[in-house]
Amino acid sequence: MARSSNSVAITGIGVISPFGRGLNALSSGLLACRSCLKPLTIFDAGWNPPPVVAEIPELPDVGDRPGFRLSRTDHLAVIAALDAADGSRDCSDFLESGAVIATTVAGLSEITPAIVSNPAQYYRAGGFAGAASYPSSHPADTVGAWLGLRGPCWGVSVACASGAMAIALAADRVLAGDAPMMLAGGSDALAAFTLSGFNSLRALDPDPCRPFDKNRNGLNLGEGAAVFVLETLEHARARKAEVLAVLRGWAMTNDAFHPTAPDEQGRGLSESMASAMAMAGVAPDVVGYVNSHGTGTPLNDVAEVKAYETAFRGRSSPMPVSSTKSFFGHCLGAAGALEAAVTIVSMRSAALFPTLQLTDPIESPAIDWLMAQPRRQPLPVGMTVSAGFGGSNTSLIFELEGNLDRV
Amino acid sequence: MSPQQPSITGIGTVSPFGPLRGLIGQRKTEPRTVTAWPTEGVRRAFLVEPFRPTDVVPGLKTRRLDRLSVWCLVATALAIADARLDLNVENRSRIAVVLGTGFGCIELTEAFLQSAAANGYAQADPIVFPETLTNAPAAHVARVFGIRGPNITLSQKGLSGEGALMQAASLLRSGQADLAIVLAGDTLTRTMYEWFEAAGVLSSDAYAQASAPAPSSPQRGGFVPGESATAVVMESADRAWSRGATVHATFRAGFMASDPKAGVSVTRKALAGSSPADVRMVVAGANGSAALDDLEGPAIREVFGGQTPVIAPKTFLGESDSCGILRLILALSWAENNARPLAMLVGTSLAGGCAALSFELP
Repeated sequence: MARSSNSVAITGIGVISPFGRGLNALSSGLLACRSCLKPLTIFDAGWNPPPVVAEIPELPDVGDRPGFRLSRTDHLAVIAALDAADGSRDCSDFLESGAVIATTVAGLSEITPAIVSNPAQYYRAGGFAGAASYPSSHPADTVGAWLGLRGPCWGVSVACASGAMAIALAADRVLAGDAPMMLAGGSDALAAFTLSGFNSLRALDPDPCRPFDKNRNGLNLGEGAAVFVLETLEHARARKAEVLAVLRGWAMTNDAFHPTAPDEQGRGLSESMASAMAMAGVAPDVVGYVNSHGTGTPLNDVAEVKAYETAFRGRSSPMPVSSTKSFFGHCLGAAGALEAAVTIVSMRSAALFPTLQLTDPIESPAIDWLMAQPRRQPLPVGMTVSAGFGGSNTSLIFELEGNLDRV
Repeated sequence: MSPQQPSITGIGTVSPFGPLRGLIGQRKTEPRTVTAWPTEGVRRAFLVEPFRPTDVVPGLKTRRLDRLSVWCLVATALAIADARLDLNVENRSRIAVVLGTGFGCIELTEAFLQSAAANGYAQADPIVFPETLTNAPAAHVARVFGIRGPNITLSQKGLSGEGALMQAASLLRSGQADLAIVLAGDTLTRTMYEWFEAAGVLSSDAYAQASAPAPSSPQRGGFVPGESATAVVMESADRAWSRGATVHATFRAGFMASDPKAGVSVTRKALAGSSPADVRMVVAGANGSAALDDLEGPAIREVFGGQTPVIAPKTFLGESDSCGILRLILALSWAENNARPLAMLVGTSLAGGCAALSFELP
């Protein structure tokens, strides 16, 4: 197959999630079907009872760098990036690499409403450094500084599709030869600002969320970061790096429909899945699982089901689908990256993780809902999809190295 | 000129020069006194004079949108008109939108914080929240113009405009889009202005008396803040020629580094095999701050040897994180015709690194 030009190796994965630090913590939490959704404790959201979230109680120290004060989002990004790069930093051209880190919250977790009444006074009273972490480029700059990267570093912010899009954009840069390796992923912290925003939209489920359930009632926010090391297969093989997975296809689309609501027929999302399969050169039957966006909001989940029905039309059996937001909430700018990590964990452990709290799913002949327990089965090719406010959609297709050439 | 290479074929700007379609022409501007918030004494910046969007784009609905979203919509409409682009005959799934911004929708982010300050986080304003998202401007452009291709919002500190151009060119070259609306913009607000003041990075020109404005110029110990939004249509030149549109410039190569001291290296790479003597003009990122200008100036001299005209458009635009595309447009507007075929857009950001992008001129 002549697809080597679209093949990007994943040679490092760093994750910090409500399950803890590392891919093993994520994997064992998912296998144990352990929900991280609990009432918020790490700060006061401003209302009672506190919202149900997936939080990370303690963050390990990562040291400091001159000129940087870490926001919580930065901190999460640095932890994930350090772990991702663990097997790459000895590579001779590692420092020429760049970073694409997605976020929606960035430094908003460090800023209080007092900033707007008298900014100068707010800065004098100690708010200056926290405000400096506001730009959505800040987590990427921070990752670059902590790892000493000299290549291009930039932030991506396309609402809840950000993390997946960062991986797609980094893959483009690797294939274009702009950097020998790219670190890519997403990071977002829980913040009063975003909790307040989703609460104002009445989008928060006061209980643990139930994506794709007929009785779903909204989403729960979470926090975390996932960062990947991307490089060409040739570069990875030349330095004898372990290839954890291969990114074979990706696509980005927009609904062009509504500022917050998805296209009711899921057209943009289905187009992104179809385009990603076209880039990967795979038919719908080859994809063995979709880690869905699955927020648990009434509008998203219905549109997403319609998108699957369109994208996988003609498939010989229903598509196994789950939403792992039911374990660790919606991590916004990190969600797409964390769910890409879950998809790779599924592939490497031959286990498809269920949607927790899903008991009465939306009926669809196209979908094989994964419920209650992990399903043990080989997964050579998996897909993860993300969608967000503003109509952004991104789909990523991963495979275990070499598998597609055998199918 | 390479007919297949990504080219700029339409321009729309909302800047201190006002909302304009196409090249800017021989206009001049100077800092205006800030009146949008209370100040202790005179505070000045290169501000966009308020205008009614429907006076520029009839029928455009912009109620409740952040100013950045409004400007991006206006600039896009102007760029599409300049490119003589009929979206009705285009496959809109093959059109991308790429926005570069340093601060995104900061104005309505402040409004949401204001509502939280007044009512508590439990009772904040639901209307405002979705418009605080950094990708709202690009999303509105997609929605209003029915553009269904990749929709990307990136932030790269002071190189956000340059980053958007490079990202769009990458989408075209990799076949993920046939055409891109490339946007870059930032608005100036009180929290930003007073943060710059607290950081001590502003020029004396930002504090000059309104009655006796001093010209903003480099080497004045700091910068004057600015605000703007720019849209360009990027597509292959032959596509544009087929409908009689003008090719303003063709992208050749671009490189970035996170180290602001890497200017010599990225600029030489961006020459992509051409000689420095082929460059008609260097569009510098100099903003009047000694730290930045002292990094960029020597790098330009080392590569070009002092033989190539250097233009510093921030003298007329002020500093904003996303003004890279507008700097290029201003330079194209003022470029003298001669045999040298190239322009070099150079950007330096103390916190964000450096960039160099080369363009072939018509």
